[in-house]
Amino acid sequence: MIKFLLVGLLRDRHRSLFPVTVVSLGVILTTLLYSFMSGMMNDLIDSTSRFDSGHVKIMTSAYHELENQLPNDLALTSTGSLLASLKKSYPGYDWTARIKFAGLLDVPDENGETKSQSPVFGLGVDLLDKSSHEVERLNLRKALIRGRLPEKPGEVLLSDKFARKLALGLNHKVTLVSTSSGGAMAVQNFILCGTVEFGITAMDNGAMIADLSDIRFALEMPDGAGEILGFNKSKFYSSENAGKTAADFNGKFFNPQDKFSPLMLTLEDQNGMGEYIQYADSMGFIIVGIFLIAMSAVLLNAGLMSGIRRYGEVGVRLAMGEPKGHIYKTLIYESVLIGILGSFIGTSIGLLIGYYFQQVGFDISGSLRNSSIMMSNVLRARISLTSFYIGFFPGLIATTLGTALSGIQIFKRQTAQLFKELET
Amino acid sequence: MLIIKLAFRNITHAGLRSWLNVFVLSFAFVMIVMTEGLYDGMLQQVKDAVVDSEIGGGQFWQKDYDPFDPFSIENSHSKIPENLLLEIKKGNASAVLIVTAAIFPRGHVQSAVLKGIDPSQKIVKMPTYLLNDGSDTASIPGIIGSRMAKSTGLHSGDYLSARFKNINGTFDAVDIRIVEVMNTDVQSIDRDQIWIPLKSLQKIYRAPGEATVITLKKDVRYYPSGEPGWTFKNHDYLLKDLNDTVRQKKVTASFMFILLLGMALLAVFDTQVLAIFRRRKEMGTLMALGMTRKKVVLLFTFEGCLLGILALIAGAIYGIPLLAYFAGTGLNVPQVATQAGISIGAVLYPKYSIQLYIITSLILFISVVVVSFLPARRITRLKPTDALRGKMA
Amino acid sequence: MKKLTAVFIFLLSGFAFAQAPSGEEILKHIDKNLIIDRALLNTTMVIHGRAGTRSVKSKNWIEGRDKAFVEYTDPPREKGKKMLKLAGQIWNYIPEPTDRIITISGHLLRQSVMGSDLSYEDITENRKLTDLYNAKVTGSEKMNGRDCYVVYLTAKQEDITYYSRKLWVDKERWLPLKEEMYARSGKPLKMSEINDVMRIEDRWYPKKMTFRDLMQTGGEGTEYMIDSINFHVNIPASQFTKAALKK
Repeated sequence: MIKFLLVGLLRDRHRSLFPVTVVSLGVILTTLLYSFMSGMMNDLIDSTSRFDSGHVKIMTSAYHELENQLPNDLALTSTGSLLASLKKSYPGYDWTARIKFAGLLDVPDENGETKSQSPVFGLGVDLLDKSSHEVERLNLRKALIRGRLPEKPGEVLLSDKFARKLALGLNHKVTLVSTSSGGAMAVQNFILCGTVEFGITAMDNGAMIADLSDIRFALEMPDGAGEILGFNKSKFYSSENAGKTAADFNGKFFNPQDKFSPLMLTLEDQNGMGEYIQYADSMGFIIVGIFLIAMSAVLLNAGLMSGIRRYGEVGVRLAMGEPKGHIYKTLIYESVLIGILGSFIGTSIGLLIGYYFQQVGFDISGSLRNSSIMMSNVLRARISLTSFYIGFFPGLIATTLGTALSGIQIFKRQTAQLFKELET
Repeated sequence: MLIIKLAFRNITHAGLRSWLNVFVLSFAFVMIVMTEGLYDGMLQQVKDAVVDSEIGGGQFWQKDYDPFDPFSIENSHSKIPENLLLEIKKGNASAVLIVTAAIFPRGHVQSAVLKGIDPSQKIVKMPTYLLNDGSDTASIPGIIGSRMAKSTGLHSGDYLSARFKNINGTFDAVDIRIVEVMNTDVQSIDRDQIWIPLKSLQKIYRAPGEATVITLKKDVRYYPSGEPGWTFKNHDYLLKDLNDTVRQKKVTASFMFILLLGMALLAVFDTQVLAIFRRRKEMGTLMALGMTRKKVVLLFTFEGCLLGILALIAGAIYGIPLLAYFAGTGLNVPQVATQAGISIGAVLYPKYSIQLYIITSLILFISVVVVSFLPARRITRLKPTDALRGKMA
Repeated sequence: MKKLTAVFIFLLSGFAFAQAPSGEEILKHIDKNLIIDRALLNTTMVIHGRAGTRSVKSKNWIEGRDKAFVEYTDPPREKGKKMLKLAGQIWNYIPEPTDRIITISGHLLRQSVMGSDLSYEDITENRKLTDLYNAKVTGSEKMNGRDCYVVYLTAKQEDITYYSRKLWVDKERWLPLKEEMYARSGKPLKMSEINDVMRIEDRWYPKKMTFRDLMQTGGEGTEYMIDSINFHVNIPASQFTKAALKK
C-alpha cells in the first residue's frame, strides 16, 4: 500500500510537492534555529576558550594561585615531555603551550639607544609551527590590519593603535624589556611584521603577540610555559569530556604537596564559566522548546489545510464505497510519508546550510567594524547530534497530527449527502 | 468596507486554523521584542552600573591620565581647577586622586593603584561613607571590590601594606585596613585598586588639593568650560567598548529573528496558498457578483494582513503581561566576566521601548502583507467562469 | 693661668673623648672606608627566587660615588651584559644579537637588578649621606658581637628615596654592620647587613653583605660577595662612557 500511496504522491504534484515543500521549509528553519542557537551559546565559551581558558588548561598550582599577576617564575617547566605525553594520552585534544607576560616595549633610535618606552602586555603562542592551529584560533588573519603574520623567528605583531602611538612602521625594530623567569631584566629584539586589532581597548592600547620560542628565549624559559591549553578537536567544548580528561590527568600528574606539579582545570573551573554554561543550556532548551511548539503549530496547520483541501477527493472515495476507516488510514499514512520525506529533505538541507555556517561562518563585520582577535565577528552555527533529529518533531509528528485532526471530518460526513455536496 | 467585513468573517470562521496562525505570528513577534528587550536591558543595566558607580555624567581627566598606561599615572595629577572645585563644593562633582603602589598581600609584591575619594561624596554609588571609619588611627581605611579581594586573598578587617613614592620621589608605606569588600558589576572600580579617603591620600602623597579624575554628577547638564590641563571625556568615549559589544551581540541575535520571522511567514504563506487554491469557487462567485479582480486580490491580501493585525493584538494581550513580568522581576543570569571586562549583574532586567515595539510590529506587518499578496497575485489571472467551476487557469 | 688653661683644655678634650662622635663624624668615617677613588672589584651575587637560587658574577669598575661600570661574566646567559651608572643615570647593555642600550628610567628603575632584592633605584642614589640626612647618634648596641653606635638619619630635604635610616656602625672599624631604610611613615622598607669584613691596606671593607626587602615576607634576601678588590688599577676615562658598553 505504501508503494501505491507513494506513486500517488509522486504523480499528483499538488498533493505532494506543496506539502513536502512546506514541511521541508519548516524543518530547515527548525534545524537552522537549533544550530544557530547552539552556535550563539557557544560564542562566549568559544572566545573565552580561544583566548584565555582553553577547553582545559594546565598550570602549576602556584601559577594558578597568582594567575592574574602572570608569575612566570612559577611556570611549568619541561613542557616538551608533558606535551608529548598529553598528545599520547589524550589524542582527542589539540595541545598548545602559551606564555603570557607583561613588560615594556622599548623603541630604539638610530644608535640603538632608547627613544621611547611603553608598557605592553604580551602573548607568546606557537605561530611558526605548521601543525599549530593558533593562527586560526586567535583569528589572527582576519584581525590583521597592516603587514603580515610572523613567518620567521624574531617577528612580532603589535596592536595597530599601539604601533601608531609609538610611530612604528612595518619592519621597524622594537625591543621587549620584561622580567625573566629568574626575575632579571629580560631583553629581546623583534621586528614588527604586522599589526592587529584586538577589539578591546585595554589590549589595543598596548599588546603584542610573538612566537612562543622567541618568548621562551627572551624570558629564559627553555621548554617552559605559563600554561598549556587543550582544545577538543571537534572545536566544541564538551563539559563531560573535559571533566573526565581533567580528573584523569590530575590523578596521574597533580600532587597537592608540590606547588610546581601540573594542575588541569576545565573551562568551567575558570572565570565562573561553569554557571554560565548551565544557564546557557537551560535558556537554549527553553527557546528551542518554544520554537518547536510554534513550528509544530505551523505544520499542524499545514496538515489541517491539506486535509481540508482534499475534501472533494475524500467525498468521491466515500461515494465509491471506500470505508471511512480505510480512507482515514491512507490519509495518515500519506502524511507520515510526507512528514518523513519533508523532514528528511528539510534536515538534509538544514544540516548542509548549518554545516556551511559552522565551518565558514557568517561574517557580520560588514555591519560592524573590522574583525578583531577578541570579537571574531563571525557568526557560527553548531551541528550536534540533536541537529540531526530535532526537525523530525515538528516535521513528522505535527504534520501527521494535523492530518489526523482534519481527517476526523471524514467520519462526520453522511454518505447520503455526498453527491449533493459534490455537485456544488 | 465590505472587504474588511468579509475578510474578518472569513478569518474568524476558519477557527482553529486562523488561531494557530495568529498564535505563531504573535509568538514570533513577542519573542523578537523580548530578545531585543533583553539586549537593550542588558546594555542599559551595564551602562547604568558604570554611570552610577564610576563615570557619572562624564569625567574630566588630567591631561596625562591614561588608565591603560600605568606609566602615565605617575604624572597625571594636578591641582583641581577653581571652576571644578566650585562644582565639587556645590555637590555636582567629586575628585579622585590615583597613585600607583606596590602592595604586599600574603607577603608577595603585587602592583595596584590607590584611589583617593571623598568619603562623603554622593556622586557615584560606592559605599565610601565607610571610609569615615576612624576606629584605628594607625592605619588608613580602605575599600576593595570582590574581584580584588579574590585576587589578593583579602577580607574585610584585614590589613595590608602599600608602598609608593610620593611626588618628591620619597618612598612611603602605609598600612591599609580593609573596611569593606564591595560587590560591584563594574570591573574598572574593582580590579587592582584600593579606595581610600582622598584627604589621606593627598596627605601621604604630599599633593594637597590635587586630583587625577573629576567625575561629574550623573544628571548634570552643565559642563564646566574647558579647563587647561584637563580634558572632558563624555559617555560616548567612556562607554565605547560596552556599546561595541552589545552592538555585536545584537547583530548576532538578528539572525535568530530572521528564522523566527521565516517561521511566521511560512505559516501565513501556507495558509494563503492553500486558501487561494481551495477557494476558487468563492472567488468566481465574488467576481460573478461584480467584484473586480483587484478587489478580490485585495480581499485575500487583507485576510492575510488581518492575521498579522490579530497577531499583534494577541501578542499584546499575552505578551505585555509576560514582558512586564520579566521587566519587573528580571531574569537570573549567572555572573560571568566577558573579555571586554564587562560583567552582567545577577539579575537582568529587560527593557522595552516604544520604538522597539513599533519597529518590530512594522517589520512583521510588512512581511505579512508581502507574503499574503504574493500568492494572491495569481487571482488576477483567474477567469471568473473557470473559477466558478473550481478551475485554476 | 697658663696651667689652668692647660687643665681646662685637657678636661675639655678628655670630655670630648669620652663623648661619642657626632653623627656627621661617623658618616665621614664610613665614607672614608666605603668611598673608593678607583677600584676594580670581582663580585658574586646570590639571588634567592621563588623558583630557586642562582648566582651572578660580575666585574665592577668604580670611580668615586658617581661612576660605575659593571660587566657580567657568569652564568653564560648573563655574560656580556653591561651596566653603566653616571651620576643618577643608568644604562643597560645587552650584547649581540640583541645589541641594545636600554635607558633605565621611570618605571624600569623599580625593576630589580638581576632578580635580586636590590632595585635600580637603590643603586642610583649617589649623593653623600651627609648632604641628604641629619645624623644623630641615639645609643650603642651590640651587633654580631661587635660594639656599634646606633645612628639615626632623617632627611634634610624632600626629594629623597628613603626618608629615614638607622645604622649600626662598628665603633672600631667604621662600617655600618646593619642598616634599615624607612618610609616616610616610619615603616621599615629595606635592610642591609654586612656579614663579613676584610682589611685592605688601611681600610675595612665589607666582604659579604645581605640585602632584604622587608615588605616581602619569607624572602631570603640577596647575598653580595666581594671576591677580590684592587685599588691600584688604571681606569681610562673612556670606561665610563656609553661607547664602552658596546665594546
